[in-house]
Amino acid sequence: MTAAPLVEVRDLSVAYRHDDGWLRVIDGVSFAIGRGEVFGLVGESGCGKSTIAYHLLGYQRPTSRVENGQVLFAGTDVLSLGRPALDRLRGDRISLVPQNPTTALTPGMRVGEQVAEVLTQHRAGKSAADIAARTRELFELVGLSDVTRIGRRFPHQLSGGQQQRIIIAMALACEPDLVVLDEPTTGLDVTTQEQIIALLKDLRARLGMSMLYVTHDLGVLAEIADRVGVMYAGQMVEIAPTATLFRQPRHPYTRGLIASIPQIEAGGRPRGRPLRGLLRRDELPEGCPFQPRCEFAEPSCAARRQHLAEVAIDHRVACQRWQTIDAPAPVPPEAAATPAAQAPAPLLALEGVTLGYGASSWLGLQRSTTPIVVQELSFSIQRGEVFALVGESGSGKSTVARAISGLLAPAAGRLLFDGMPLPGAVKARSGDLRRRVQYIFQNPDASLNPRLRVGRIVGRPLEMFEQLDRVMLKQRVAAALRDVRLDADYVQRYPDQLSGGERQRVAIARALVAGPDLLLCDEVLSALDVSVQASVLALLRRLRLEHNLAMLFISHDLAVVRSLADRIGVLFRGHLMEVGGVDAVFAPPFHPYTHSLLMAVPGARAKQLRPFDKQPAGTPPQVGIGCAFAGRCPWQAGKICEEQAPPWRAASSGLQIRCHLPLEELDRRAVWRPAGATACEPSQDLREQAISS
Amino acid sequence: MTTASVSRPRPSGWQQASRLWRRAPRSFRIGAVILAFHILAAAIGLFWTPYGFSQLFTGAPLSGMSWQHPFGVDQSGRDILSRVLYGGHIVLLLSISGTSLGLVIGATIGLLSGYIGGWLDEILQRVLEAIISIPFIVLALIAIAAAGPELAGNPLLIVLVVALVYAPRIARMARAAALDIVTRDFITAARLRGESAWSVMWRELLPNATSVLLVEFALRAGYAPVLIGSLGFLGFGMRPPMPEWGLLISENRAALITNTPITVLGPGLALASLVVGLNLFTEGLARILGRSVQIGQR
Repeated sequence: MTAAPLVEVRDLSVAYRHDDGWLRVIDGVSFAIGRGEVFGLVGESGCGKSTIAYHLLGYQRPTSRVENGQVLFAGTDVLSLGRPALDRLRGDRISLVPQNPTTALTPGMRVGEQVAEVLTQHRAGKSAADIAARTRELFELVGLSDVTRIGRRFPHQLSGGQQQRIIIAMALACEPDLVVLDEPTTGLDVTTQEQIIALLKDLRARLGMSMLYVTHDLGVLAEIADRVGVMYAGQMVEIAPTATLFRQPRHPYTRGLIASIPQIEAGGRPRGRPLRGLLRRDELPEGCPFQPRCEFAEPSCAARRQHLAEVAIDHRVACQRWQTIDAPAPVPPEAAATPAAQAPAPLLALEGVTLGYGASSWLGLQRSTTPIVVQELSFSIQRGEVFALVGESGSGKSTVARAISGLLAPAAGRLLFDGMPLPGAVKARSGDLRRRVQYIFQNPDASLNPRLRVGRIVGRPLEMFEQLDRVMLKQRVAAALRDVRLDADYVQRYPDQLSGGERQRVAIARALVAGPDLLLCDEVLSALDVSVQASVLALLRRLRLEHNLAMLFISHDLAVVRSLADRIGVLFRGHLMEVGGVDAVFAPPFHPYTHSLLMAVPGARAKQLRPFDKQPAGTPPQVGIGCAFAGRCPWQAGKICEEQAPPWRAASSGLQIRCHLPLEELDRRAVWRPAGATACEPSQDLREQAISS
Repeated sequence: MTTASVSRPRPSGWQQASRLWRRAPRSFRIGAVILAFHILAAAIGLFWTPYGFSQLFTGAPLSGMSWQHPFGVDQSGRDILSRVLYGGHIVLLLSISGTSLGLVIGATIGLLSGYIGGWLDEILQRVLEAIISIPFIVLALIAIAAAGPELAGNPLLIVLVVALVYAPRIARMARAAALDIVTRDFITAARLRGESAWSVMWRELLPNATSVLLVEFALRAGYAPVLIGSLGFLGFGMRPPMPEWGLLISENRAALITNTPITVLGPGLALASLVVGLNLFTEGLARILGRSVQIGQR
């Protein structure tokens, strides 16, 4: 790269006000982004990656200060620019795609006007017709063809993916040189995420702008970034071209990050050694910030500051031990999960359950039609079995959990628990039933009362369900915390004094302390960082064995599901499409929907399987008739899919698939194949080459 | 550098307090000083005043400002400053206890109504709206009239009237807070445990609504002296010779057009500064609480 880079961050240090002093959150970070290059910035939450992104736009939080360094954009230091100059720069030359499209769009303004607003702001003097034409062009660019219809809608009338497309259209309105993307797909489900990433790749190929892509998800960067910078605790610890980084990560933290990615191909056990512990800002040593968590740390690491050093062309690492450390030893495989004994009566059975959210109107005078969310669902969970329910958002997964927990009475069908009918409403259930079914929520921030101490939160179910004296209660709470690997003195803390992973552990402890038979886990990992996910997943795996728990595990993350579940059900718009044991589901034949889910997973193993026959969406089926997936199905058999409900087809492995196509045909069409390869194996010749150079 | 700041010794309580004070908004600090002065004056006035609060002929009636009588002397020769000082604790106590009672009633109704929802919520809200639609002075007068003449002038009645006027307004705030909190998963978790509505209110809703309710309490308490003063001025509050400030202003209002306006301005100034002080204090408090408390996530 001989030409001057578009963006150059030089030795940037930023501090936030913290109690009485200043806490340095960015510590001497330098990197450059070339013209037309996509630079990925990755790290755990709190590592300062978003702060860097915002400084590229010249934005500083009111309570922050730049202690050192420059951010050069096409030669000018944006940090020294005044407000008017920044206003001209932002949205025009540099634009931002923020994390959450729902909050980034003005709720009371039509989205078309919001896109046009950017143009009127920066392209004053253009006629209204020009602006309208450009808006239409932008809508087409981001794949929203029907500008007249979508442009007139308000943000809440669009899906998350459409909202993010609007945001991208706004960011591209003035053909900027640099687009800063701050976790643009984090809030979206896999299929939407895949579409947005495909869109970004396509746009970049066509328009040639530079991008800074900030994310905690290395898998996404494998798909889109040219080069990746890995940050830890405000310092850049490794910069390398994407392919090199995945093939040959040098920094122990990068290795840990890669190993923490649940690998869908690898099946049950995680390879490599995932990261242990958490980023604790208050425990950072003077030298390498990663030293407390590093497996290769020497005493001198804690004292000596690490600087980025060139280890190969274009590959720089801030670790004094990069030459001596080797690939992480694989962990000994855990005891294989015991397949559930086939007990005669399942713990939980759903028989033709139909669910809908009925709006019971005032005094019941008028009865509105209830939209059906889940249609005649039947499955069962054995004692000690983990049954996973997967599907994209809106498929009704959580609704099923709500029905089992008693928050939503089924409109039809029945629930059986331990052979006995389970009343639909919580109030109608006995205390013992409420105790035996426990719910763990997606977001521990919301599921723990922020004003109660951990001890009271965990102790409450015991107060409710068992008569215990104070001493016994304390002992049981302490035991529950020990069970989820939390320190006993956490009882005195409030939830906001804990990290996200610790909070989720508290939520798990609260469910466990009641002594349940069935745990309903509703996306319990999706609000957590990748490295934390791995440890919570390991915890769940251990607890189910120790307590012989049955779980309904709801997730959109197929890799996670594969490493935990015994059986899997695939749900699409409230219809069960495929049910079977975990190995059967992850091997051909696939239901077309399962297959498309698998294909949508962004792989850290890069894209070895891209060719996927995408078919333009056909006509959606009439409600109640035909296959629910018809219209989105890439392998649609023909008219029959829209007109007749598909039959269940059973394979010898116990797998059941609901499709008009015969199993042999499904098997033939499958492109996705499970592979057993590992990802982070440094190849010998490359390392030698790097050392000699 | 940064790590050093964490390992420093635990600051003492006094240091923490002084740090909080320095960080508080200016309006809070000014308000707190005015309020502290009022509380001090009211406490002193309870035990010592230059003259007795109902002592007659302490000086020439309507003799105006002087070193002996900074706030002047009324028609009966009573020293106004002594009366204002003695009256301070009455105004403060009535305001605080009236507002507190209103808070307890309003918060209970509002939180339960927001949590339970349904037709109970609908009915309660319509009733509260009906009460709020009546101007508060009219509502207060109706309540006093309904209580009958034998209770007139009873401080308990004043407290109940203040509570009646404020409870519906506080209830609406509490309900709004509850509606936000009930969507959180920890409420769902409580529901799944089968907790009673009362227990959910007490354990889950109230701790999270404290900041909203405190601000609401402070705001209402800031205007309570005006309400009590108005009742006194109209002759429906405390009975003479109790030197409640509104009553003092009413008794001496004829002096406004004579040459001794200080006999009205004195108690008026006391009332005004109390209300200004309370409002600055509560505005600052609202900002502090609003800054440090986020329900749910940050």
